[in-house]
Amino acid sequence: MRQGNEMNEGIAVILEGGAEGRPAPVSLELIAFAKSLRRNAAEPIRVFLPGRGIGAAAAELARLPGVAVTGIEGESLASYSAEAWKETLAPLLAARKTRFICVSHNANGADFAPGLAVRLGAACITAVEAFRIEAEGPVFSRSILKGKLQMEIVPEAETAVVTLLPGAFRRGDAPSSPMDKARKDGTVLLPEEFRRKAIPPTGATTLKEEKSEVQGDRAGPPAAEMISVPDIPLKTRPLGLLPAPDEAADLAAAEVIVSAGRGIGGEENIELLRRLASLFSRAAIGASRAVCDAGWLPCRYQIGQTGKTISPRLYIACGISGALQHLAGMRGSQCIVAVNRDPQAAIFRVADVAVVEELVSFLPLLIAACRKHREGAAEAGR
Amino acid sequence: MKILVCIKQVPDADAPIRIGADGRSFAVTGGAWRMNRFDEFAVEEALQIREAFPGTVVEALSVGPARASAVLRRALSLGADEAIHILWEGEEEPLPGEVAALIAAYVRDRGYDLILAGVMAEDDMQAQTGPMLAERLGLPCATAVVAETIPPNGMTIRVERELEGGLREALEMPLPALLALQSGINRPRYPALSHVLRAQTQPLMTVRAGDLPAPPRRERVVLLFLPAPGAKTLFLTGTPAEKAERLAELFREKALLGN
Repeated sequence: MRQGNEMNEGIAVILEGGAEGRPAPVSLELIAFAKSLRRNAAEPIRVFLPGRGIGAAAAELARLPGVAVTGIEGESLASYSAEAWKETLAPLLAARKTRFICVSHNANGADFAPGLAVRLGAACITAVEAFRIEAEGPVFSRSILKGKLQMEIVPEAETAVVTLLPGAFRRGDAPSSPMDKARKDGTVLLPEEFRRKAIPPTGATTLKEEKSEVQGDRAGPPAAEMISVPDIPLKTRPLGLLPAPDEAADLAAAEVIVSAGRGIGGEENIELLRRLASLFSRAAIGASRAVCDAGWLPCRYQIGQTGKTISPRLYIACGISGALQHLAGMRGSQCIVAVNRDPQAAIFRVADVAVVEELVSFLPLLIAACRKHREGAAEAGR
Repeated sequence: MKILVCIKQVPDADAPIRIGADGRSFAVTGGAWRMNRFDEFAVEEALQIREAFPGTVVEALSVGPARASAVLRRALSLGADEAIHILWEGEEEPLPGEVAALIAAYVRDRGYDLILAGVMAEDDMQAQTGPMLAERLGLPCATAVVAETIPPNGMTIRVERELEGGLREALEMPLPALLALQSGINRPRYPALSHVLRAQTQPLMTVRAGDLPAPPRRERVVLLFLPAPGAKTLFLTGTPAEKAERLAELFREKALLGN
């Protein structure tokens, strides 16, 4: 096994700046990922932050140990655009000849990364969840078939664009504990090492036309390299952000969520889930994307990466296959019970209690058993 | 208007799946293959555009082995006008970069106003083919598209992309363009009988992948494996009624059942 990228050196990380933006929460996860891809601690990591008015964010990132930062300022970069991102980043990245280009596999990362790879003649490996280092380089691991199988894949080009599934790297694959800790207490943007060195970012916001780079702790506080790019003529015209329609349905307050997947078979079986939910004191109904797409429940019920993130005491997954996009929304549940007829379903790997059964016949049995126990408890309490 | 819809044949993810003897491919029990669900939305969207713009032609295209002709027939039965099969005869499944290069080689200069694809394939879940194809053709592109409208002049397209956190991004692009559609953008129809009959006899246009410029292969699948079961997962055993009883006890122990 030989990988082509032995001649190249260094790792690039592309973060999303946008307008006056702070780096998104995925930033630190991506940087930790990049660090663990290094051949050794000396292999350089450079973070690219495109946007408008991103000087302060770039300066803040530059205080992170072990990374150099290039802020790319431009009017055309004020809001995300695949065209502008590719146009701006491709020449900078081509010149650096890095081994890896790390991008988040979020909506925008997944939008521009494949095209960027084509433009650079690079390999492209998307939705990466984990990797192992072999003598020849990292072997990336990603889900296929709704998480039923894992695929191990390696790049065979000098540069590889790798998109990392948000949240995937916090499952203990990462050697970076500050990040995990920061996630736990909700201060993802400012982990320990970040906060300790944080000084007011005044002055750092001024845009510098020429390269101004000071590296390393010995030479004083590190600064971000700032590049400004001229206006790029774009075919795509951004029209702004909109809230997705159909907001509401408070799943957040529920202690118990009974959630429907495509495996429930049809809209008519949602009634079974409602009956089960009615037996708990503070329960709500949730759904996987497939159920909302099919119109069995409105999209405000959707739990997952593009839906709601919930962490109830009990999550009962009914006929849910367990695609990572769904797991991203419910992994924080205290207790996960999964009912699915497919013993290979990925949901069983995160479940505390697994029941391999046909839902439509099992749920009535479960409802009857719960009723009995509920009445038993009421009797005992008298 | 001339619309191309890129579709892929995938195994039914709910069917039992085995890993092939080479360790790098998978086999489905009973050969349960179907059209990628995300691509069903793309076919439907193309048909709806055709209804709004009379005279529009919808062509479906798939890169795959001989069995992939079944999804092209499916597209015809849903109402596509033509179907193009880029016949892949390689031993290993083509990777997205290869698929995009093959489609680009075929599509170039054929004057499509709009190319639609699903946001990802359900089997390999790479979400690469659409944006890679757009890049190769120099087309503006949007992925995770959850809404689109074409004004009456047919010169531009307005789209909404799905972002995280309940947000959407609206943008406008000139045609020709490529959209990779998110699921849920529409409700795919069922085949109409008249189309089903036509789909059985209408010839597919077949192009051998080997007759197109060789696509680059820049990644290599090392192996596939079944992830280990969750270490802490308790699989309940016994009859369905016993499992239900055990689960209800668990709910009571956790004091979750209401009064």
